Amino acid sequence: MDLLERYLQSVGEYLPARSKADTLAELRENLLAEMESREEELGRALTENETAEVLEKHGRPVLVAARYLPQQHLIGPAWFPIYWFALKKSFPFVVLIYVATQCIAWFSQAEKGVDLGALVGRFPGIILTFWAVLTLGFACFEYAEGRYFHRVDLSKGWNPNELPKLEPAQGRQPSLVNRVANAVMAAVGIVWLLALPYMLLGPRLGYLRQMPFTLTPDWHIVYWQMIFLLAVQLVLKTVMVFLHTARGWYNALEVIVQVSGLVILVIMLRMRTYLVPGTTPAAMSLKDVTGLNALIHLGFQIALVVAVVKLLWDLWKMVTGSRTSQKGFVTVL
Amino acid sequence: MQPTSQNELSDSLRLELRRGCLILAVLAQLRVEHYGYTLRKALADQGLSIEESTLYPLLRRLETQGLLTSEWREEEKRNKRFYRLSSEGAAVLELLMAEWNGINDSLHRILEEKAVKKER
Repeated sequence: MDLLERYLQSVGEYLPARSKADTLAELRENLLAEMESREEELGRALTENETAEVLEKHGRPVLVAARYLPQQHLIGPAWFPIYWFALKKSFPFVVLIYVATQCIAWFSQAEKGVDLGALVGRFPGIILTFWAVLTLGFACFEYAEGRYFHRVDLSKGWNPNELPKLEPAQGRQPSLVNRVANAVMAAVGIVWLLALPYMLLGPRLGYLRQMPFTLTPDWHIVYWQMIFLLAVQLVLKTVMVFLHTARGWYNALEVIVQVSGLVILVIMLRMRTYLVPGTTPAAMSLKDVTGLNALIHLGFQIALVVAVVKLLWDLWKMVTGSRTSQKGFVTVL
Repeated sequence: MQPTSQNELSDSLRLELRRGCLILAVLAQLRVEHYGYTLRKALADQGLSIEESTLYPLLRRLETQGLLTSEWREEEKRNKRFYRLSSEGAAVLELLMAEWNGINDSLHRILEEKAVKKER
């Protein structure tokens, strides 16, 4: 019976102190009865190996003990879908807030430099902290529910009439992730443009001097015009993150954003001369730089055509979408 | 579907199907007093075998829920814990049996309909 006592001792290690003695006494009796029954069948006492077989069949001590414990979970099945939904929906906002706080920190710091590695490296920590806080919040809520306040019955207290309207088949709104990504990219674009002159005229000055060409003075004017238009885009895109339910306003802002993009391209096209030969011995000839300028100009022309076509296509979709919405709706799965 | 995953799935569904039935069987069997081992034998004798590691914790849980009562008593010179259905357990058993009979009748009808259609 030494093996049985060792087994019970192992099970006892995983049981709570207040119910341990009682549970083990009952388990001992049941196992002894089981073994006696086997002995009756065989007509002799069980060997050590046969005793081990009975215990092995009964189960690994940690698992046996776990079955005697109350059901344990951090977030139960009732709240898990809500928890998961909250986690998924809030993730883009965490990204947005992180980028916004980093932009504010960049603007407020005296030395304008961007350590991209540190910026990306800090992000997993932020995400983990957010996940831990949200999980802990839900776990605390579930623990307190029923103990300190009445259980929330999720199956009641909702009105089918408050369900969102059917979305038209065409012109479906971009997802939250898409909208936040748009705003984040606009912020990153501005930070990059603001950091660029600092980098080129600051730590990377030597690199600029070695270039076979240099920028024309027109860039000083165009630069601030571009910053202004990108800032307008950032504001509009941030508003669009929260404005997706007001379809008309959302579409209007989308058009304004696209038009501002067109204006940036037009400004670039009007410059015509983007680069001039550098002052180093290895500088490009005027002819080569002229060719390069023509290529850049052609690139902007193509970009303008694509942007105009896209704007027209989106306008057409908006118009036909609003017509569809007047005729009827189709469920979008 | 791969045979292994099909087996795993059918095992998991079988366990799910049995889980509720086991509680009903245990409650019904404990209209007469039993201790853990004899209860398991009684159920097995009627064709419903339950693992010890499933049954004994289940008895504890049902007792915590107030559906069973238990007492330690000496039998054959050994202390054993005897379980019996409580009055609350008896009321719950009645409700569960009504539910079981309803489900059983419906399933019979559904399965018979399927069998008839197959024959055609």
